[in-house]
Amino acid sequence: MTQKDTILVIDDETEIRRLVSAALTEGGACVLQANTAAEGLRVAAAENPDLFVLDLGLPDQPGIDVCRELRQWTSAPIVVLSARQAEAEKVALLQAGADDYVSKPFGMRELAARIEAQLRRARIPLRESPSVLKIGELTIDLPRRIVRRGSRMIRLTPTEWSILQTLAVNAGRPVTHQDLFNIVWGREFGSPSHYLRVYVTHLRRKIEVNPAEPRIIITEPGVGYRLEP
Amino acid sequence: MRRVDQWYVRTLGPWILWAAMLALSTATLVSVRGEIEQSHAALTLLLVVLGGSAGGGRPLGYSLALSGFVVIDYFFQAPYGSLAVGKTLDWVVLVAFLASAFVATELLARARGEAETARKRTEEVASLSRLGSETLRHARADDALEALSALIRSTFSARWCTIRELPDSKHARRWTSAIIAEDPRVAERMRELDERMTLAASADAVADVHRVALATSDGSIVIDSLVGEDASSRIEAFGLPLFVESRLAGMLIVGGSTQQPIAFAPPRRRFVATISYYAALGLERVRLAREAQDARELREANRAKDEVLATVSHDLRTPLTTIKLLAQAAAARGETAGVSIEEQVDRLADLVTNVLDLSRIRAGGVPLDVALNTAEDVIAAAVSRVQGVLRGCQIVTKVDLDQPALVARFDFVQTLRILVNLVDNALRYTPAGGSVEINAERDGAWVAITVADRGPGVRPEERSRIFDAFYRPRSEVPDAGRAGLGLSIARRLAELQEGTVEYSPRDGGGSLFTLRLPAVDLNSEKFIESAILEAFGT
Repeated sequence: MTQKDTILVIDDETEIRRLVSAALTEGGACVLQANTAAEGLRVAAAENPDLFVLDLGLPDQPGIDVCRELRQWTSAPIVVLSARQAEAEKVALLQAGADDYVSKPFGMRELAARIEAQLRRARIPLRESPSVLKIGELTIDLPRRIVRRGSRMIRLTPTEWSILQTLAVNAGRPVTHQDLFNIVWGREFGSPSHYLRVYVTHLRRKIEVNPAEPRIIITEPGVGYRLEP
Repeated sequence: MRRVDQWYVRTLGPWILWAAMLALSTATLVSVRGEIEQSHAALTLLLVVLGGSAGGGRPLGYSLALSGFVVIDYFFQAPYGSLAVGKTLDWVVLVAFLASAFVATELLARARGEAETARKRTEEVASLSRLGSETLRHARADDALEALSALIRSTFSARWCTIRELPDSKHARRWTSAIIAEDPRVAERMRELDERMTLAASADAVADVHRVALATSDGSIVIDSLVGEDASSRIEAFGLPLFVESRLAGMLIVGGSTQQPIAFAPPRRRFVATISYYAALGLERVRLAREAQDARELREANRAKDEVLATVSHDLRTPLTTIKLLAQAAAARGETAGVSIEEQVDRLADLVTNVLDLSRIRAGGVPLDVALNTAEDVIAAAVSRVQGVLRGCQIVTKVDLDQPALVARFDFVQTLRILVNLVDNALRYTPAGGSVEINAERDGAWVAITVADRGPGVRPEERSRIFDAFYRPRSEVPDAGRAGLGLSIARRLAELQEGTVEYSPRDGGGSLFTLRLPAVDLNSEKFIESAILEAFGT
């Protein structure tokens, strides 16, 4: 985290807010705090932070609504703290504009890593988004549609390429099955249950060093996939 | 007055008509007496007798026969105008006439009687089938009973009909159809008879004995047999115990008044015995509907309980987060307790999840998203999920990557949960430094994922019980963090997706848990089609 990053932590649990804020401050960020949705939205409008940490169990407004309201005017990443295990809720949150989530009880390392990834992603302006992604030995050249491991070219089918491209553009952010399906197959209301997961398995076998323990394409159970940059 | 007129027309009409016919025929025959023989007259009069007995029944038939006898003797046998019989042959004619007229009248009357009985039977059958359809036609059991009581009331031309449950059952309801005049005494009498008959009839009611309570004209209540033939036929009211499979379910009570009694002759009683089945059926329907309602309420309560549990587990996670963050902060400051506190928090969170899951599974509230998934995807996710609890053990996955991916139909999230539980269980019995093996292979119609450890295994007598909720092997040291839910949840989740989880001892020691999920052959499905289309660039 660089000095200039401003993070707004919106959580009504004083202790959690204090601990998260302390850890983030120690990590070098400038941290703002709010304990209700209303206050959070007010501070957000005034300070225009670079990232939001949003608790879903706020007393005055459902977290998902706060997500939607923020998304109307800011593209700063939103990392959600969720106490429910339901995957459907996570999908709904991502659809409402959240960028990532951690489930309670979470650890600070896990949260810090997610925040760091989101900040890194957000720091790069959209029009300058990286055309070439390097993950370890792997190189994904988006404009030239080329994937290489070291100097060895990897042949992908058009569908596999399309999946990889979608995940790479959203690197670090979970992409839901439905979104992935819509982008790759270009249909709005198709069933995401189709063969998507089988294609992802094939893709992993081609690009992962050890497909049995994938490090590049991470499964977000019940939600979708995330490319780990 | 109109009714009286009708009575005259119905009863006296045929007599007047056939008396006139007899007179007319006699007058006509007398006018041609010289040209005919007495047998012609006898045959003509016989026709009149036949017509009369057909139209007016036995009494008219016999009367006409006797009149014909006198007419033949007086007008057509010499000496004319006298009842004296001149010749023996005349006697023969007279007796033959009388005999044939009597026989014909009797036969006709019998045929009419049988036709009448048949008509009544037909009416009964029609009435019964109406009862049957009234009981079945209505969507609500209440409506059916109301329709039934109205139908029974009109069948008996009664003033009121009540179908009621017994007063000692928890829900004592009644369904009444009544035409009660404004006179409150009539309604009062109805209620009184209702109570008295129910008391009298239900006291010693037995299903296979057809008993009926009768309110006789003198105001007393007597218990009578439904199948008895020597019964009083006009009563104020009757009450019938209703049975469902030998269980006394309620009463059917039909009432008139002392001025307008109910006809209750033996044939009617047999009919009543039959309609009581329909009324009993109606009551049974009400009872079943009520039970269904109770079951619905129970389910609702169950769902509410599940919701409470979800909320509690949700509320537990927030303080657990605080503790975990504090523990991590302490560990970062070098306090060793921080690490163990964090571990315990994770176990507590697991327990909360398990209890909630079990309750969801029991309540049937596990949302399933069954889709095509690959074994290696879910295994990889499971391995990554248990990284935190390895305690120096390692996990070896054996998935043959040269073979086509193993595809099965399952819910990814729940299957991940199954595998994590199985691996977690295996790790618990694996000494530090040991390893747990995960393997996946095609096994007939299944994709079988096995989790194998080199722990102590499960003793034969305990093998059938390890999948029971809250069961822990006796050898195990009691341990607050482990409620023995993991395997139970694993098995139930597998069964929800039409899969299985089974235990078998591992060759060379240890346990082998096998999760089987329905395999899918992509070659036989559309996948190959879409792959080909893609290869050719469409």
